[in-house]
Amino acid sequence: MSTVEAGLELPALTVTLRRDDLVRYAGASGDFNPIHWSDRMAAALGLPGVIAHGMLTMASAARVVTDWIEDPADLVEYGVRFTKPVVVPDDDQGVTVTFSATVDKVADGLAEIDITALAGEQKVLGRARATVRVR
Amino acid sequence: MTIDATMVGRSYTAAETYQVGREKIREFAAAIGDPNPAYTGDDAVAPPTFAFVLGSRALEQLLGDPELGLRLDRIVHGAQKFSWTRPIKAGDEIAATATITTVRKAGDVEVIMYETALTSVAGEPIATSTSTISHNRADA
Repeated sequence: MSTVEAGLELPALTVTLRRDDLVRYAGASGDFNPIHWSDRMAAALGLPGVIAHGMLTMASAARVVTDWIEDPADLVEYGVRFTKPVVVPDDDQGVTVTFSATVDKVADGLAEIDITALAGEQKVLGRARATVRVR
Repeated sequence: MTIDATMVGRSYTAAETYQVGREKIREFAAAIGDPNPAYTGDDAVAPPTFAFVLGSRALEQLLGDPELGLRLDRIVHGAQKFSWTRPIKAGDEIAATATITTVRKAGDVEVIMYETALTSVAGEPIATSTSTISHNRADA
């Protein structure tokens, strides 16, 4: 990471989420909100179907940054808005989300990175931004 | 049972501190599909967003406040931000306190912001988590 400068594109990452991934995340995180496993409960809240945990999408998006920096300890700040739900169908294909990221600014040993998350053509995260230490 | 701006400032501390274990970190990393070697072994650090799991103990207290009358199955996560002083690592014993910072209402939907401070038992700051959740009180 010797030449980190604004405009640098980080390697993109594509992730497929299926229902069993949501079950695994629910168990590991302790978030058993039924909108992440029950079509009935998701519909009751007006959602188009079972949706991925926002925190699972956020964790996947973080990988674009942590796969690129050598030490995940260099991530100092990270925020997202969950603008569109990531609907996970009850089938073998699941949903595919592609994450890309670009360095926006480098100053005082910190790089600010903008992350884009697309499920199909739909942006599912807004204002997704990470700050990392660079040397 | 409703929530309004008078509830800003209410604070909820997780009933018990959280003992971070190496196998829990491994389990969480597997659940997010992240094979980063930093998350395994004796010196494992936790994936950054694991901070939310530690904060969820305090969130449980907030959701359990009968005066707020919130229901988990009516909540959607709207936004999330973290800042870290240092990574969470195996062996840490962490306390979590969530404080309501903003309440906005739009019809049946309540938008609640809360900030969760994660500290070591000695009081060393580890991470701060800022969460926005939408709670829908409408009968579906």
